Amino acid sequence: MAEQKEKKVEDIKKEAEATKKCPVNKALYYIEEFLAGPMCGKCFPCEMGCYETEVRLKNIIEGRGSEADLFAIKKIASEMLEASRCKKGKDTAKFILEWMETGAYKEHVGGRCPDRECLALIEYRIIPDKCNMCGLCQDACKYNAVQGEKKKTYRSGYLPFEIRQKRCTKCGECIKVCPTKAIVIVDIKAKEKIGVSV
Amino acid sequence: MAKMVKLTIDGTMVESPEGANLIEAAGLAGIHIPNLCYLKGMPGIGACRLCLVEIEGAKVPMIACNTKVKEGMVVNTKTEKIQETRRFVIDLILSMHPLDCMTCTKAGVCNLQKYAYEFELKESNFTRKKFGYPTDEANPCIKRDPDYCILCGRCVRVCRHQGTNVLDFMGRGVGAKVMTANDKPLQESSCTFCGSCVDACPVNALLEADRWRKGREWEYEKTNSVCLLCGNGCDITVSTKDGRVAKINSGAEGITEKYICAYGRFGFDCIEAETRVTTPMKRIGNELKETTWDDALNIAAEKLKKAGADAGFISTAGILNEDALVLKQLADVVKTKNVDTTVSLYADADSLINESADPEAADLIILAGLNPSQWKRVLPALDALVRKKVNSGAKLIVINSGDTNISSVATLNVKGDEAKILSEIAQAAISKGTKAPKEMVHALASVDPSDDAVKAAELFIAAANPLILSAPSLYDASANLAMIKGTAVSVPIESNAKGVVLMGLSGEGKSYTEMVKGGIKVLYAIGELPLNKRPQADFLIVQNSHMTELAKQADLVLPSAAFLETSGTMVDYLGRLKCLCKAVEPAGEAMSHREIFIEVAKAAGKAVKEPKDSDIKKALKVKAKAALKPFKKKEGLDINPEEMIESINASVINGSRLLWIKETGKAVAV
Repeated sequence: MAEQKEKKVEDIKKEAEATKKCPVNKALYYIEEFLAGPMCGKCFPCEMGCYETEVRLKNIIEGRGSEADLFAIKKIASEMLEASRCKKGKDTAKFILEWMETGAYKEHVGGRCPDRECLALIEYRIIPDKCNMCGLCQDACKYNAVQGEKKKTYRSGYLPFEIRQKRCTKCGECIKVCPTKAIVIVDIKAKEKIGVSV
Repeated sequence: MAKMVKLTIDGTMVESPEGANLIEAAGLAGIHIPNLCYLKGMPGIGACRLCLVEIEGAKVPMIACNTKVKEGMVVNTKTEKIQETRRFVIDLILSMHPLDCMTCTKAGVCNLQKYAYEFELKESNFTRKKFGYPTDEANPCIKRDPDYCILCGRCVRVCRHQGTNVLDFMGRGVGAKVMTANDKPLQESSCTFCGSCVDACPVNALLEADRWRKGREWEYEKTNSVCLLCGNGCDITVSTKDGRVAKINSGAEGITEKYICAYGRFGFDCIEAETRVTTPMKRIGNELKETTWDDALNIAAEKLKKAGADAGFISTAGILNEDALVLKQLADVVKTKNVDTTVSLYADADSLINESADPEAADLIILAGLNPSQWKRVLPALDALVRKKVNSGAKLIVINSGDTNISSVATLNVKGDEAKILSEIAQAAISKGTKAPKEMVHALASVDPSDDAVKAAELFIAAANPLILSAPSLYDASANLAMIKGTAVSVPIESNAKGVVLMGLSGEGKSYTEMVKGGIKVLYAIGELPLNKRPQADFLIVQNSHMTELAKQADLVLPSAAFLETSGTMVDYLGRLKCLCKAVEPAGEAMSHREIFIEVAKAAGKAVKEPKDSDIKKALKVKAKAALKPFKKKEGLDINPEEMIESINASVINGSRLLWIKETGKAVAV
């Protein structure tokens, strides 16, 4: 494939907005694309700042985030806005700050992804009351993460349907096939006891 | 003198020359604006963003390295906001830099360390990043450790500016790395081991390979001196520790002349080479045996006195002005007129008495008959200087009958008989209406300039300050051209050629070549001469710092101090008087050339005094008469500069890591 023309920062932002829901994910997507494409590496605040921001965003998305990460990102972005050499760096800082203003970063640090997109912060669970034990999800799961027995008439004592979190890759295939909408995405750290067998 | 501009920096009134940038201007007022990527004398690139300053009236902070001073400008370099930004940048850099200042060789001169101290950063607040790049330690000269690199790009720019083009960035952003083409070790690239990158590096990423545990910056005693190993006579700063040389850096200010080659930087090993002569030696039978100074001096004095007018002195032009003056007096004591130096091999005395020139001001450089090359180590500093001038916008005309390396960067390359071309350029300039002395107009009336000469003349007319650098044999023709405009300077092969000529060491008696051929009863050879075979002489005295091939065949060997071991003055190729200071004590019983001459004279019964500064100044007052000379090349002065430089530096090369460079260069070339 021929070398494509360098992407514009605005276009990357649009792409991020289109493909991701969670602001943190948008920011990470943006930074990764920016570092891979239009980042010129001609001034320290931008090249080193973006690199560090990427590290910090990953921390947050992977559930290791802390207040220090929030502080660092905020600090980097505001200094980049001030000190980077060209508009690309300044725009990048603006976008990061914009996404930060949604408050989503902070929620992530608290363990919640409001858009249920950051895989490290969510779990797929099956609500037993809604589940009709059709077994479609089991067929759909490529990773054998769904355990349970299909319901057969006149039989009792079967194993209820449940998702084995260790195997689940959070690909979302099971949700697509569930006829009763019994599979839900919940925050790991949330107190709700949905879908947990007692 | 440039126009001065008044501005206010941090509340202080500063007067700065027009066209200076803010970092320079603030420096004049003693205010340091932090920077990591700025290189004095080169346009700022604004990569590190440390030099941001606030200028009243400007909306955003500006980079000081690339902002020129303006009348009435009000600059604040230390506002809280800016300091915070600087702290942030240093913080980020620290996150990818090893924190091992306690064992780091560059501690004390490391700019990063300095700024981390200034901004109270014990360690980085950001995530520690480690790249684990391998170090390049495959050569004995320059060690590259990319783990320490902060990507300021100074080394890359310095290397490109001087035309060597070895280092470049690979990749982009934080993952970038400074490397040679294909990341080969330095010796397999086109590196000349000049070490300019070492001088430029603000951290520990580039340093002299042998520096580990050899002392750090604050332990060194610094001495300003001059390198005497080739015709350039570059300024050097010698760092010594416990009486031993630890490293040598370029001593020049500003980028134009900030260059020393591998000889100057790494040749100092030879001071402690095994071949050093530390005691006088005399021939007993077939062997040279150690003896005392008294004995040796008496023999020398007796032999010289006996020979009288049949005694002869031959010397290199690498001796200092003071040595030359005393040598002349010693010859008078001996009552001989046979004193000559190796200068006569490549120059006549008149061509070396020139005006002094300032390369900084030149906007056109004409190289006539010179073939400098950093790679062949023929006047490497001149090569670097010309390339730097060209890169900063000066024009270059190369006039040579053969192929030259430097012609690749020339604005105009004229091939052919140099003297003829110079006369054609003069004629072309005259016919375009440039004023010239009458007799020259007359003499050149019949000359028909070629197209290239016309083009060269156009450049010559357009230039405000042409500098004509010529081989000594072409100096007459060049000086003629300089009578129209500019300065002409002849470039000798040895460091103090101009000095020894000014001090009067040019043959009234027999010339160097004649003396070497024979007919001299007692021959006194001083310094490293391009001689391997003993000349025809009844008695041969060799006075040198090293046991050369010639010294091995001598009847009497007097140990002299090596370069860096004596103080004195010399005149460099641009006619500037430079002072050398003694950096280390002479090895063993060695004495400086002039001390030995004085002692020999004393043993011969005459007192000769050490010359004073005023004697040197008096001798320097000789001025050449500006008169039209024929546009002709002087014959018989063609020697191969490459071989000459190599042979007069044989002991230096063989006694230091330069030998490694030479051998490796050969191996790689095959």
